[in-house]
Amino acid sequence: MSAQNSSPNLAALTERLNEGRSAHSKLEYLGRSKFGPALWIERFRLGNGLSVLYVEEHAAPTVAFHTWFRVGSRNEKPGKTGIAHLFEHLMFNETEGLAAGEFDRQLEELGAESNASTWLDWTHYDIAIPSSGFERVVELEAERMAHLVLREPQVASEKEVVMNERRYRVEDDVEGALNELLWATAFVEHPYRWPTIGWMSDIESFDVQDCQTFYRTFYAPNNATLVVVGDVAPERALRKLQDAYGTYQPAPIPPPPASVEPQQGAEKRLQVTKLTPTWKLNIGYHSPALGHPDHLPLSVLSEVLFGGRSSRLVKALVRDKELASDVRASLSPLSDPGLFEIFVSAREGVVAEQLLEVVDAELARVLVEPVTADELARATARIELSLLQGLSNNEGKASTIGFYEVVLGNPSASFERLAALPSIRPDDLLVVAKRYISASARTVILVQPQGDPDDDAGGDDVEVAA
Amino acid sequence: MSAAGPVLLLERDAALPLVHGGVCTRSGSAEDPEDRLGLTRLCQRLMRRTAAGMAADEVDARIDRMGAALGLDIGHGSTALSGTVVERSFDEYMQLFEQVLTAPGFAEDELDRLKRETLAELTEILDSDQQLVQRWFLRSLLAGHPYGRTVVGTQKTLAAITLADVRECYRRHFTRDNLLFSFAGAVDAERAERAARAIWQALPAGGGAPAAPPEPEEQPGRRLVFVDKPERTQTQILIGGIGGHPSDPDYFPLMVANTVFGGTFTARLTQEVRAKRGWSYGAYSSIGYDRRRQAFSMWTFPKAEDAAACVALELQMLSDWWQGGITREELDWAKRYLTQSHAFSCDTAAKRVGLELDELTSDLPRGHYARFVAHIGDVTLEAANQAIQKRISLQNLTLVVVGTHAAIGDDLRRAIPDLAEERVVPFDTE
Repeated sequence: MSAQNSSPNLAALTERLNEGRSAHSKLEYLGRSKFGPALWIERFRLGNGLSVLYVEEHAAPTVAFHTWFRVGSRNEKPGKTGIAHLFEHLMFNETEGLAAGEFDRQLEELGAESNASTWLDWTHYDIAIPSSGFERVVELEAERMAHLVLREPQVASEKEVVMNERRYRVEDDVEGALNELLWATAFVEHPYRWPTIGWMSDIESFDVQDCQTFYRTFYAPNNATLVVVGDVAPERALRKLQDAYGTYQPAPIPPPPASVEPQQGAEKRLQVTKLTPTWKLNIGYHSPALGHPDHLPLSVLSEVLFGGRSSRLVKALVRDKELASDVRASLSPLSDPGLFEIFVSAREGVVAEQLLEVVDAELARVLVEPVTADELARATARIELSLLQGLSNNEGKASTIGFYEVVLGNPSASFERLAALPSIRPDDLLVVAKRYISASARTVILVQPQGDPDDDAGGDDVEVAA
Repeated sequence: MSAAGPVLLLERDAALPLVHGGVCTRSGSAEDPEDRLGLTRLCQRLMRRTAAGMAADEVDARIDRMGAALGLDIGHGSTALSGTVVERSFDEYMQLFEQVLTAPGFAEDELDRLKRETLAELTEILDSDQQLVQRWFLRSLLAGHPYGRTVVGTQKTLAAITLADVRECYRRHFTRDNLLFSFAGAVDAERAERAARAIWQALPAGGGAPAAPPEPEEQPGRRLVFVDKPERTQTQILIGGIGGHPSDPDYFPLMVANTVFGGTFTARLTQEVRAKRGWSYGAYSSIGYDRRRQAFSMWTFPKAEDAAACVALELQMLSDWWQGGITREELDWAKRYLTQSHAFSCDTAAKRVGLELDELTSDLPRGHYARFVAHIGDVTLEAANQAIQKRISLQNLTLVVVGTHAAIGDDLRRAIPDLAEERVVPFDTE
């Protein structure tokens, strides 16, 4: 965070709170940055390296208390895929001070809502609490950061749960399976090539030792950021964090893998058969990291092409030509370059090649012809609305702040992106289109319905000529 | 506002430059004729697409340009046409809203296009086992009742719908006394009232909410509907019967009892099915309602090999809950959870307005949410355990399983004591 400013009151408070404290529990006030028109993000760091982002917001008598660890599936190794996600599940189990089930029981008794998620770059634990329960929730969250108990029955049971989650999201879900195949095909070197939930055989093979090693390696205060947003005064919040986390030791954190995905030289195309009523088409273009200057204009271009019913591809495929029932795209917001993904579900009687032809024609247009000013205005207005909608309560604010902090190191980045939108010009979109919309840098997956008259793939993945 | 003007629910909150709002009708798809199922949904989608005779593209482009979203939610007892807009575009948004509500173009070619789109959406549902289990559960449990009918329609009923049907549907739903306006966010009362009144005045007078349908009746016995889909590694399972409604005197006791049984992550169902056995990623029970009682249901999704054992366990747990009730300790915990967590039901202006709307559209007792915490506090152990026995049936249960029948059908049948009826339906049956 660029310390645009600092609060003298918080500087003085920090000094006072540090009196008589050990080195690890001493807070350093690092400054503040604006978060929208009315709020400030205040940044602190404990002596043991734990980052704290705090926003005072009294609109509702609630507090969002989020913990982000800088570890996701990108930190895993082949053969051990899915351990970051399995571990997220295990964090709701027994600790030295809490019997199995007690963590959740106490949270619920306080009226808290808790959840967690793991993705390629991070693991995120979020708890929403009525303000009166803040202190106890901090104690519970701190307890599991350092005192988790990992034993065979819990690990075995949680593996079963995760395998069932995988069946739910991937094995029995056409779109989930397709998405997994797309990333596994598009990437050959980078850890983004394996799914966050992990391969089934890897999940099956984890043991207690694997989990203990993972915990000791990545769950340390200097690998975490706490985000506190809501109805809790700064002295109350900061004192409690010092008390709860100040005794923890930092640990050496392995650097993230320095894997660089080699440039893709030619289109990759696969055709698979699935039990689904209609053809599906999934395309992935290699795309820039979230922190790259091209990411925002490419997001705007994605909106022009795929954002809402008036966008070019939705209009062409769903409305005008009536070839598809569903058309979507997403640009991955990752630390490293990811994918610009396109998904199209055909109507009955339409084959994926017909969809691809229309997608290709529209993509070809944006390579040579600037989008109109009206299209640009609509796309930026959609992005603005989406961002603002995500900030409606403390949970949304804390999630946005933590996400941008962990991926970009800048918790205010959402508003900075918003501020940059008006400066984007049609020519900027032309530039990023030429840079990223390249057939030689894409992966195309075609899904043929099982039992389709032309189904001769026998259920296996088949490479087809581009 | 009074009877001389529109009913308007409003809460100003200018923390963000956004306004949430829209219009609800106090009537829904339950009013669709049996041979015109899907009519209300089709009608309102067509209204949005043909406002003031504009082309659908033009409407969508205008909404995007404003920085707005405008969506539809069609229920059996009510509908909502609502969305969000950045504050600077509020007046323009309301102008469009007025055109959607008071001057729909109802173009024939757009109706035909919309029907084709809806048919394609029905095909898409076949990919989702979760949607399939929900569809068959409500259809089976509430067979013969309006709440058991599809909101979306079927191939046959959609084909039968004419433009005249759509116009008649519009006239039926969009009358002054059938509408509720609501806004939350960066808008003041005067601006909101002006916008609501302009719409209200342009609509025909009268036409309040229709009478609610009768309470649904339980289907006798334990009935299994097996939705047969090939190659399933996992199952989707819903088990339940008729539940309760907030107007029932024992609704809050039932809510507390259900919280203990399957309402949270540490409830009995999640602990036994997920935490102890690892059988299902999720295991919950819930009580749904509309203007009348709807379903009490248990939802799990174990792998195929565990499905029979999971169903047997759920039935045993249901029986234990029914016969043994909940304990004092469980009661106290559930009451603390429900009263404390209520803060998150009303932590934004939009949610608070939404609760008020729910009271009006679902025929809840007035003050249901304002007195929520007090109602929960009043629940006694005796009342909670009596509510289970009064509202939940052990004998009359509908069980719907999406899975591969050849692989698990026999085991599953054996796992259900006193099974009165079994039906196997192909998953692609409409």
